[in-house]
Amino acid sequence: MARINLDTAAVESREQRLGTVVYWDGNALELSEKSGYSKKGKCGSGCNLCEMKGPFTQPSVCSEQMVECQAGNIREAVLIQHAPIGCSASQTFYNTIYRIGLASRGHKVENLRISSTNLTERDMVFGGAEKLRLTIEDVWNHYHPKAIFIGSSCATGIIGDDIDSVTEEYTEKLGIPVVPLHCEGFRSKHWSTGFDQTQHGILRQIVKKPTKKQEDLVNVINLWGSDVFGPLLANLDLRVNYVVDLATVDDLASMSEAAATVAFCNTLGTYLSEGLEQAFGVPQIRAPQPYGIAGTDAWLRDLARVTHREHLVEDFIAREHARIAPEVEKLKKKLGGKQGFIATGSAYAHGLIEVLRELGIRVNGSVVFHHDPIYDSGDPSQDTLAHLVDNYGNVDDFVVSIRQPFQFFTTLRKHNPDFILIRHNGLAPLAARLGVPAAPLGDEHLAIGYNGLINLGNLILEIIERRRFCEDLSKHVTHQYSDWWSAQTDPGILAKHPELIWEGIDI
Amino acid sequence: MQFGCDPKSDSTNTLRGGTYIPTVLDTLREKTKVNAHEVVYEGFNGIYCVEAGGPSPGVGCAGRGIITAVQLFKQQNIFEELDLDVILYDVLGDVVCGGFAVPIREGIAQHVFTVSSADFMSIYASNNLFKGISGYSRSGGALLGGVIANSINQPYSKEIVDDFVKRTDTQVVEYIPRSVTVTQSELQGKTVIESAPGSAQADIYRSLAKKIAAHTESKVPTPLEISDLREWAGQWGKHLLELERSGSVAETLVKV
Repeated sequence: MARINLDTAAVESREQRLGTVVYWDGNALELSEKSGYSKKGKCGSGCNLCEMKGPFTQPSVCSEQMVECQAGNIREAVLIQHAPIGCSASQTFYNTIYRIGLASRGHKVENLRISSTNLTERDMVFGGAEKLRLTIEDVWNHYHPKAIFIGSSCATGIIGDDIDSVTEEYTEKLGIPVVPLHCEGFRSKHWSTGFDQTQHGILRQIVKKPTKKQEDLVNVINLWGSDVFGPLLANLDLRVNYVVDLATVDDLASMSEAAATVAFCNTLGTYLSEGLEQAFGVPQIRAPQPYGIAGTDAWLRDLARVTHREHLVEDFIAREHARIAPEVEKLKKKLGGKQGFIATGSAYAHGLIEVLRELGIRVNGSVVFHHDPIYDSGDPSQDTLAHLVDNYGNVDDFVVSIRQPFQFFTTLRKHNPDFILIRHNGLAPLAARLGVPAAPLGDEHLAIGYNGLINLGNLILEIIERRRFCEDLSKHVTHQYSDWWSAQTDPGILAKHPELIWEGIDI
Repeated sequence: MQFGCDPKSDSTNTLRGGTYIPTVLDTLREKTKVNAHEVVYEGFNGIYCVEAGGPSPGVGCAGRGIITAVQLFKQQNIFEELDLDVILYDVLGDVVCGGFAVPIREGIAQHVFTVSSADFMSIYASNNLFKGISGYSRSGGALLGGVIANSINQPYSKEIVDDFVKRTDTQVVEYIPRSVTVTQSELQGKTVIESAPGSAQADIYRSLAKKIAAHTESKVPTPLEISDLREWAGQWGKHLLELERSGSVAETLVKV
């Protein structure tokens, strides 16, 4: 795979590196074959994957917000949003998540430390660099952070503010890393480029050259999830270094000392894992993600191989199989034959579908918010979609759609599942209004590992009890969609027939 | 490599027989994933030609276009891959926004050479550019190698540019006379070196190229304040009037 280029401050966008698409309609097997680097033994990549074009896009988020929820969630650091104040609108939302995350991991609960340069018309005309300097001085005097991240914005990207020079100047002046993060929303069609940009900045300026190795330390790339990896890896005498969210600056700096890197989801972790491997020699686990029994087995075996713990792993796997078997059997009896639906980020959805199918739940449909035809390693063993299709079968209706509620409305009505699992909870109320109970997976670690089957199974049992309530609710709500749109069965009809828009149809 | 950083996209035109090449931004408009090699074209004498391109006049943001195009090349390590001897960024004289300043910022170009005639507006633009160079020099930006004095056909033109570089603490790298050979070559879609290699004008360009190739030390210029520049221009205006009255300078009119 191409080398991670740490010479430039701005990361290459996902679509440029990986051929990422945000709209596609078909089945999982077809998508896997067209993405197809594992099938063909090399990156066929994005090459054969034709992205559909819809006539409009409903709400989304942007790279800047992903920087906010990653770089803004690093303890002992400060994020400055070099932006008009509107870009900071989501700070309150992320503050809630940050505080919950801190509490769930047993850290001191505190507020986010994100400031804005509050750029105005005058700054757009005359440049915002002086205001940025002033803000850096202010946050330094106020917080004395161990690192300062500077997130750019569409506004500063267009006027060409020289953020790189200012950050270099203050890195020298303050003696701490002052890290530019080029996250202009317009640079990428998918928000995950914001993950990559944060990780790129961390790789360039925070991670230190290792002076020693910690052979029992494993970097776990995650968000704010509860401490699931710690107890799991303790069975292999391994310790976890959770990054990027909720980590300290020192935790990030020491990533280079770890024995391996894993991620709860390849969508989030692919860039940092590959960067740590290429630039600092920290191997990444290339097995499937740790979802379901088969996935967790393979993942643990690969982790044990890389960290030289083969002597511990087989016993542990056997013990865990025996431990969870009775509970899984009970869950299968209760859940077998139910129909589930997944609407989450890409690689995470692949893992969740595997767990559901191991519990005997039918999954005929899924909406993922984007699709990466390849990950940064280029290694077929990380092809999570191919792993799903090859080992658990096809998903007949597999839609890539960047959170289009009007399509989601039609898709859910078409499938009418017993429940849905959803990660971006803005869509969960829509499901409830359609009579479908939904579980917004706030804790992304819920489905990880062997306990993940039990956790997820119990959660589903809990939510399907709300089915009656949701059905009652659906009888008493009205939807904003027209009779014409409500009668449609194909959520992609406007992409296939954009002329309908100009024929005066009312959605 | 010659890298045109002008939305008009005509910088490399005479290296390619008068033809326009597809620009980086045109290609980006057509597809989201671009291999930078696709927008590198070989021109006269093995020179690689690239045009950043940009929006039509009056729309969009040409400065952002420069940022996008240069970033693409840096991210894909094209300059290293092609093992280039020299990269020449042909940049607009009026650095009207941060985007157009990208090539003179840290990590892109090493030296800046400013092409200026003795006309006041050209000197004025050069002085503005010196301000930008001076500002970026504090953060590792490219420094000024000197002025390439263009259209120098009269002794007073040379004196004006000489005086300007003295006051701004820089130097003239070469004096280029205005020549019909340039016009002829351009109309043929060629450079002077290609169309008239034996001409006197070609010798001057070769001399300039040798000086730039041998150049190592650039410096921070000391641009004039606007009021000082106006005063300086006024003094030259008076001086030229005196020269005209004394018959040392004659207005040349060409009947068309």
